[in-house]
Amino acid sequence: MFSITGLLTISGILFVAGAAALITRRNAVAALMGVELMLNAANLNFVAGWRYFWPERLDAHVAVLLVITVAAAEAAVGLAIILNLYRKFGTVDLEQIRLMRG
Amino acid sequence: MTHAQLTALLPVILLAGTAVALLLVQAITRSHRVTAGVTLAGLAAALVAVTRALPQGATPVTALLTIDRFALLYTGLLALIGIGLTLLSFLYLAGRTRLTGAYYILFTLALAGGAVLASSAHFAAFFLGLEMISVSLFALAAYRRDDPAGIEAGMKYLVLAGVATAVLLFGAALLYARYGTMAFAALGTAIAPGAGDPLTLAGIALVVAGIGFKLTLAPFHLWAPDVYEGAPAPVTGFIATISKAAVFALLLRLFTQVHLREHPALFAIFATLAIASIFAGNLLGLRQMNLKRVLAYSSVANMGYLLIAFLAGGPAGAIAATFYLTAYLPALLGIFTLLTALSGRERDADAIADYAGLAWRRPVLAAAFTVLLLSLAGIPLTGGFIGKFYVALTGVSAALAGSPAFWALVGALVVGSVIGLYYYLRIVLAFFQRTPAGEEPAAITRRVPDAAAIVLTLSTLAVLWLGVLPGNTLTLISLLVEEWFR
Repeated sequence: MFSITGLLTISGILFVAGAAALITRRNAVAALMGVELMLNAANLNFVAGWRYFWPERLDAHVAVLLVITVAAAEAAVGLAIILNLYRKFGTVDLEQIRLMRG
Repeated sequence: MTHAQLTALLPVILLAGTAVALLLVQAITRSHRVTAGVTLAGLAAALVAVTRALPQGATPVTALLTIDRFALLYTGLLALIGIGLTLLSFLYLAGRTRLTGAYYILFTLALAGGAVLASSAHFAAFFLGLEMISVSLFALAAYRRDDPAGIEAGMKYLVLAGVATAVLLFGAALLYARYGTMAFAALGTAIAPGAGDPLTLAGIALVVAGIGFKLTLAPFHLWAPDVYEGAPAPVTGFIATISKAAVFALLLRLFTQVHLREHPALFAIFATLAIASIFAGNLLGLRQMNLKRVLAYSSVANMGYLLIAFLAGGPAGAIAATFYLTAYLPALLGIFTLLTALSGRERDADAIADYAGLAWRRPVLAAAFTVLLLSLAGIPLTGGFIGKFYVALTGVSAALAGSPAFWALVGALVVGSVIGLYYYLRIVLAFFQRTPAGEEPAAITRRVPDAAAIVLTLSTLAVLWLGVLPGNTLTLISLLVEEWFR
């Protein structure tokens, strides 16, 4: 079985992978997936905390469900915006969509 | 739920209820007037509910929310600014788009999110409130489907808000793993002073970074100017006022329970963020030619000033920060009112050049605009000055009480204000440019609608009132905030 350190390391790697996707990938959908990956890393932390330290409490379960629900709402609105982005610019490449710079 | 809890929660219920009512109204009529009218009625009802709930003290409503006077004060402030922004949105949307229903639904939902943030006592409520604001706001930023800049702003805000939430949640999850609770009060007692284990430190640092993204503090401010520039003027107004104020309220709430002064590492992080924000905001704002971008950088700097009061902590810090926000919000509301009223159909009047010659052509508007800008700059006789004065005062007294680090913070405040003055005055200077007759920018010739004139007059008067006679407001704020420290 995994140890708590192992689980926290995995969630840390997931989190960094999500952040890296966000920074390096130019595709808007990939950026959104990066955010989802980071959110799920947080979820893994909640579950790890429950399993190893606080098995008698239920807050972590509720928190995970809450995060999944809200992340779904966020993704729905996000994809709608990306769709509009594609309609207006003909691309979802974030590097090419730069009307504003300062 | 007891009667007291219901009374306390009523403002939030009314705000959320308004969103539901608006959904139902859409089934009956799509009239823009009716939709905006229902929104205004809902916000006014929420304000009345706030005054009803004030007499009863702090009321915990489930484990998630604690509705005390501080929360009600901020909810009231948000609703007031919300009423102004609703009027602006009405003026802005009329003639630009025929799909107006969803705008007000998202708007009231975001406001309800702000109220939840201001009264949250638990990371779950924090997360929910934050997402209610964020998800509504990025939809609002991209609301005009014919406007590419708005869609780009929405996309950028989506990524920005997504990262902020994820970082914050990761931190909260680490704290949960370590302490087994997500309630602020319980965390405050559980975290030992000067606790230095990696889970605690990483958890708190990530929570701070998440809040930093939402307040656009210095290293996290990168996309903020683009979002400000691209979003429609009233939405930018919402991002600049309501979402900032709500998150700041939460920051004050969270860290009066998790005592900041007892954690030197935490204190150092916040102090660095404050100084970096003050300098980044003021220096990067210097060369901007776009009014919305200037306001974005100005808000980075202003959040830096606010952090000083927050760091000083205690009743004095909370009062100074709250007064600062009370003076800051109407000034911004007034500026966005002008911006909206003078905007044309094809683009917002957001270039500084759009206001060239305003003082000659429209002296009253120019005078009001100048007062509002000077308040942001913190010049005497405006509310901004009193706010900045109290922030500096709390900083100096904290420094005298034995934290020499505050001298650096107050120094940054003074130097930053002087640099900032330059870019506000640059805008005022543009008002006095002589333009040849017939070649004035189109913006300054437009008629200001009555509703905008009322909002502008009230916010300018509020700024002057807070600057000349701040006594009443300060007493009121200290009465409301003191409850925390008894």
